[in-house]
Amino acid sequence: MPLKFTVNGSPVSLEDVPGEATLLEVLRERLDLLGVKEGCGVGECGACTVLLDGQAVNSCLIAAWQAQDREVTTVEGLAHGRELHPMQQAFAETGAVQCGFCTPGMILSSLDLVSQEPDPGESEIRRALSGNLCRCTGYHDIVRAVRRGAQRLRGEGSES
Amino acid sequence: MSRFVSPASLDEALEAQSQAGAQALAGGTDLMVTLRKARLSGGQMPKLLVDLSRLLELQRLNLEGGAPYLGAGLTFRFLESNPLVTERLPLLARAAASVGSVQVRSTATLGGNVANASPAADGLTALVCLDAVAEIASPRGARHCPLAELITAPYQTTLDLDEIILGFALSPPPDPAGQAFLKVGRRGEVAVARLNLAVALDRDMADPRVVLGSCFPTPRRLADVEGLLKGAAPEPALWQKAGELAASHFTDVCGWRSSADYKVPAITRCTAQALSRAWSGLEAAS
Repeated sequence: MPLKFTVNGSPVSLEDVPGEATLLEVLRERLDLLGVKEGCGVGECGACTVLLDGQAVNSCLIAAWQAQDREVTTVEGLAHGRELHPMQQAFAETGAVQCGFCTPGMILSSLDLVSQEPDPGESEIRRALSGNLCRCTGYHDIVRAVRRGAQRLRGEGSES
Repeated sequence: MSRFVSPASLDEALEAQSQAGAQALAGGTDLMVTLRKARLSGGQMPKLLVDLSRLLELQRLNLEGGAPYLGAGLTFRFLESNPLVTERLPLLARAAASVGSVQVRSTATLGGNVANASPAADGLTALVCLDAVAEIASPRGARHCPLAELITAPYQTTLDLDEIILGFALSPPPDPAGQAFLKVGRRGEVAVARLNLAVALDRDMADPRVVLGSCFPTPRRLADVEGLLKGAAPEPALWQKAGELAASHFTDVCGWRSSADYKVPAITRCTAQALSRAWSGLEAAS
């Protein structure tokens, strides 16, 4: 039986996926979605974060088969052509990206947050992103980026 | 290489789970790490992974009747935010919110937390304080087992290979306002508990409950501390004395191991603080 799920709006069907394969492996190695990063591999760093039916999960801790008939969103699914998603744009503008390894996970966790809380405060943002580690930025600009991205998604101009 | 099945009903799940080499997968957040280690070291893989996450039988939630019940498949993310849970079982909601990260809580389940039986499991400490009795299904029928009997040692349970935890019947203390959960880890978020503590008080001090986790092989109710509190006059000196008794219970059981220099004062202060918080909650609610 093939493994079927939707990735970034497109249905996929994959043969011969072992039961123990992680969603991370399948996304990277079978579907070439290299925006999904493997950092620690044990659910500590959040670099592999994707949205599963809209909720942030660590794709390294999910068996690929757990995604059967569900919807997966990776960072590749956010932009429309060359137009960045407002949250991506906010990260780019605020200097929230340095080496970039944590960025896809940060952005997807941020989108999960703003889907629950469209106007999050600093402490909510820090708590929501506590499962995403960044070794470069010191987080300050990431928090600013999320506020700015959230503001744009609410249809307001940005304040900072 | 493992096969993977997602049974649509409990009967199908029990049948799958009774096959040789079957391994239940609840949320997977502990199991997938174990499987990863096994793969990297050439260890053995389960023949069959049985996904329990789609079983409606494990998603039951009943907190409004006289027999409160939580399905084993409820995720920590659900438990930390569901209004009924936060209102009726605040100590469990707090424990759920302290598990891992958002990403982990999105998939990790209460039943998985129990079956994995980590000595640092936050859900477990909360459930012991709620006097949880696990409802367990197998091809032989259902059985009911208090958590203290289900979990025998770190990562050890009396669960048979073909058994599945369906959920937990709870006997919560009378007043939600008197509940508190407290956790100490190396950092504020995404931390494994160095110690966790669930306490519940009622206005009459008739049924005080104090559960200390991550300090013993399994979370335990501190009977001597509860004995001290029972019927006593609630006041700061009592909380302090209870804290000291909790710490001395710890050293009695575990001896003066290297972590005791830290844990003894931490247990003393955290116990006193949790009790004080629980009593303040009751006073504020009255």
